[in-house]
Amino acid sequence: MLSPAMFPWILLTAAYLFTLGALGVLIRRNPLVVFMSIELMLNAVNLALVGYSSFLNSEEGQVFAFMVIVVAAAEVVVGLGLLTRVFSIGRELDVDDLDELKR
Amino acid sequence: MNTLLAVVLILSAISGLGVVFSRQAIYSALSLVLTVGLLAVVFLILNAQFLFVVQLIVYAGAVMVLFVFIIALLDPAAEERPRLTDPRLLLGILAIAGICTAVYVAASNGVTYDTHCATQSVTCMHAYTVGSLAMSGNPAADPYHTFGFPQNAVNQAGNVQTVANQLFHTYVLPFEITSLLLLVAAIGAVYLTRRTHTGIREEPGGERPSEEPR
Repeated sequence: MLSPAMFPWILLTAAYLFTLGALGVLIRRNPLVVFMSIELMLNAVNLALVGYSSFLNSEEGQVFAFMVIVVAAAEVVVGLGLLTRVFSIGRELDVDDLDELKR
Repeated sequence: MNTLLAVVLILSAISGLGVVFSRQAIYSALSLVLTVGLLAVVFLILNAQFLFVVQLIVYAGAVMVLFVFIIALLDPAAEERPRLTDPRLLLGILAIAGICTAVYVAASNGVTYDTHCATQSVTCMHAYTVGSLAMSGNPAADPYHTFGFPQNAVNQAGNVQTVANQLFHTYVLPFEITSLLLLVAAIGAVYLTRRTHTGIREEPGGERPSEEPR
């Protein structure tokens, strides 16, 4: 059985993973790793939502986390499609090189 | 159960470091698989069995397979580490420090737990947490005593039934909009990866003369 004193550690882990993902978005140059960092941030938010859901004895956090998972899956599909498109026209895999929309 | 939760949280924190600080993209992907799996275990401990299964299927299954496939397809080179004197890196670290401070302050204001206070009246509870808005004032419904695996009252009918009840009654409109989102994503992916007749695919990976780096 869990003690309620574990709940702050769940939130702190979620905040840590979120800031780690934000750091990855800011310092990494490979757009694939940037996408993975975004996934890490979304997972951190899911952890906080489920933690609150269990702590407050409410199931709505789990519904929201489900929505977040759906949005993350859609985002990965479109993002990786964009990456293959960019790579197929001969660009380097570097986010600094992707600063214009038109090729 | 407390020890298991602590161990899993610490392991997920460590493997999260591997996502951001691996030089090879494939190691980042494998670290992310580990992190996602550990968070799924956390969901299981927190009595969210439906999300545990969904996390394993969607993330560790579909999304990460897609990532690893794209990495194998594009074969990105290893990055060099950023120079510490890069002003953008310093700005980024400053921004991270700001975000981190804000999140930690918000979390610590929201999660202060006082055992003595929690057993008292509702007026006492108002003082220390955001979540007190969700309480009914009924001591039997006090959420601070139901945190954890065996006693989560909302899951009496089963976790899948509970989530489905919310999803198909209260949140049925967002659920339907989700289907529209997935449709748009599928159409977008097909559009982006289609084979064109403009000769783009005929010179794979080749540099175009007009597209030299500036």
